[in-house]
Amino acid sequence: MENKSQISTILIATLILCFVCSVSFAAIGCELNDPDRDIQKIFPQSTGYKTDYFTIQEKGGEKLKKEVEEKLGDAFDPIYESLDVPYSYYTILKGKDVIGYVHGVNQKGTYGTLQIILATDPDGKIMGFYYQKVSSPEALKFRDKAFTDKFIGLTLEDFYKYGDPNGKIAAIKDPSQKSQEDFKATIRGTKKNLILLDTFLLNKKHEGSYKGVRNDEYK
Amino acid sequence: MTKIPLLTILMLISISNAALASDSLFYKELNLIGGHSRQNGWVGHTQELSNSVGFEHYAKFSSDYGDFLTTDLQIRGAYDPNQPFSDAISCEIHNAWAEYRASNTIKIKVGHFEPAYGLGQIIDVHSTILQLLTMENIGYTKDWGVELRGSASGFDYWVALQLGSGMSIRRLDSSYLFSARIGTPAGRDFQYGVSALCGNVLDTEGMSTFPKNHLLSDEAIQKERIGFDCVYNWNSFVLKGEADFGVNSNNSVIGYLMEADYTPPKNQNWEFAAQFKSFVNDLGSSRTDDSKLSLGLTYRLSQTTKISAAFTHDLNQYHQPRDTEFLVQFYYYGK
Repeated sequence: MENKSQISTILIATLILCFVCSVSFAAIGCELNDPDRDIQKIFPQSTGYKTDYFTIQEKGGEKLKKEVEEKLGDAFDPIYESLDVPYSYYTILKGKDVIGYVHGVNQKGTYGTLQIILATDPDGKIMGFYYQKVSSPEALKFRDKAFTDKFIGLTLEDFYKYGDPNGKIAAIKDPSQKSQEDFKATIRGTKKNLILLDTFLLNKKHEGSYKGVRNDEYK
Repeated sequence: MTKIPLLTILMLISISNAALASDSLFYKELNLIGGHSRQNGWVGHTQELSNSVGFEHYAKFSSDYGDFLTTDLQIRGAYDPNQPFSDAISCEIHNAWAEYRASNTIKIKVGHFEPAYGLGQIIDVHSTILQLLTMENIGYTKDWGVELRGSASGFDYWVALQLGSGMSIRRLDSSYLFSARIGTPAGRDFQYGVSALCGNVLDTEGMSTFPKNHLLSDEAIQKERIGFDCVYNWNSFVLKGEADFGVNSNNSVIGYLMEADYTPPKNQNWEFAAQFKSFVNDLGSSRTDDSKLSLGLTYRLSQTTKISAAFTHDLNQYHQPRDTEFLVQFYYYGK
């Protein structure tokens, strides 16, 4: 009798919970390990932050995926870049005012995941760049401030001009000796990060600067 | 008393769906596990994992000035094929907590969560066959209580006071668990920490919250520990280590774990793991250790689905015959 009562309690609780919950997402793409510490470091004047989650599935599905792939100049990796994986976006506040954003992406590297975190101003200009995770024998060279500071001041428009030999991206040199693929992956991940920011939060502000990209950029 | 967890769940869910919630994530989970044990024949569960369906609901709450509250609720409906049907179904509450962000350096958590001790504080093993030393050290992986989490220049710290009861809510024989850990900030390639705990911990068996898991004794075990743990992300390897020393009632105990995980660069869907862990139950007597060698293999079908296999071999067991086990797991966690 007691068992029947316990099973009924379990079933009722499960049913209630299943009906009450309604929003559906998948595993998180890349979120900050320690948002308070990281945000304070990049935005010392901030007084708080607000976290939002977006998925490509929710924001446009297969059509949006194709659009982002076209702008990126490369197809998504099924393990690292599935449609239903939520991306975390941190809106940085000073009082009630928005002073910037922090957002990260997972990018396939030669030895595993690269987690590329960008801090931008409200217009999407990079104010901070760092790897939360970098699996590479030359990780120290990639994490070196002399390299990461080269991304500061760049915008999505600069990445859309990736193929321009006189462009700002061409001026960034690979810091490694033998990890050229990880350098290319860093550029790809940073561009993807900015495209997703533009799509999810900036209302496609940089759409006008997109003139098409070569399809062999990351080959 | 038995209704308190249910009320907690409903309260957390209600809060999560209220207009205040700025954003939330809902994951569905399916865990299928089975294998063969030399001692027990065909098995359908491990100490920590059962065949189960469940969900996790994670929510952030914010005002115009930013996030101030995070909640997490993770529940599994588990089925144990080795039990008669009336005892085979259970409800496991894993995470059920709310964390208030008092400032950018101080958070206060209430509910069901990991004790502030060892690698379990920084590594999530809720879906893996290879587990850490938490079960051997404490007797369970999560407990009900409150925690203060803070960060200072160069280190993070956690201090928790819990019931000492594990999965189910009980308080007998003045049970409690006080734990604390201080360690390097998350996200570094090399992370390490020092932990300590003391308390009167109830000896239970099983992961069930409803009905309550089995209480093996009405008397709590007095436990004291101090431990060191570390994780090193090195190229395609993740190396983990933990060593603990302390007392269980009148016996001095020691535990240690070493694990190496490897992801082949050219086939990043695959992961190999090798683990050795040992827990000596009475340092004053010989052959009182529970020592186990495990080899694991995981293949990721996608970002949300994986298939794992593990071979575990007991090098010694204190209270029971040595066993050799082979397990296979299908795990889904996503939309």
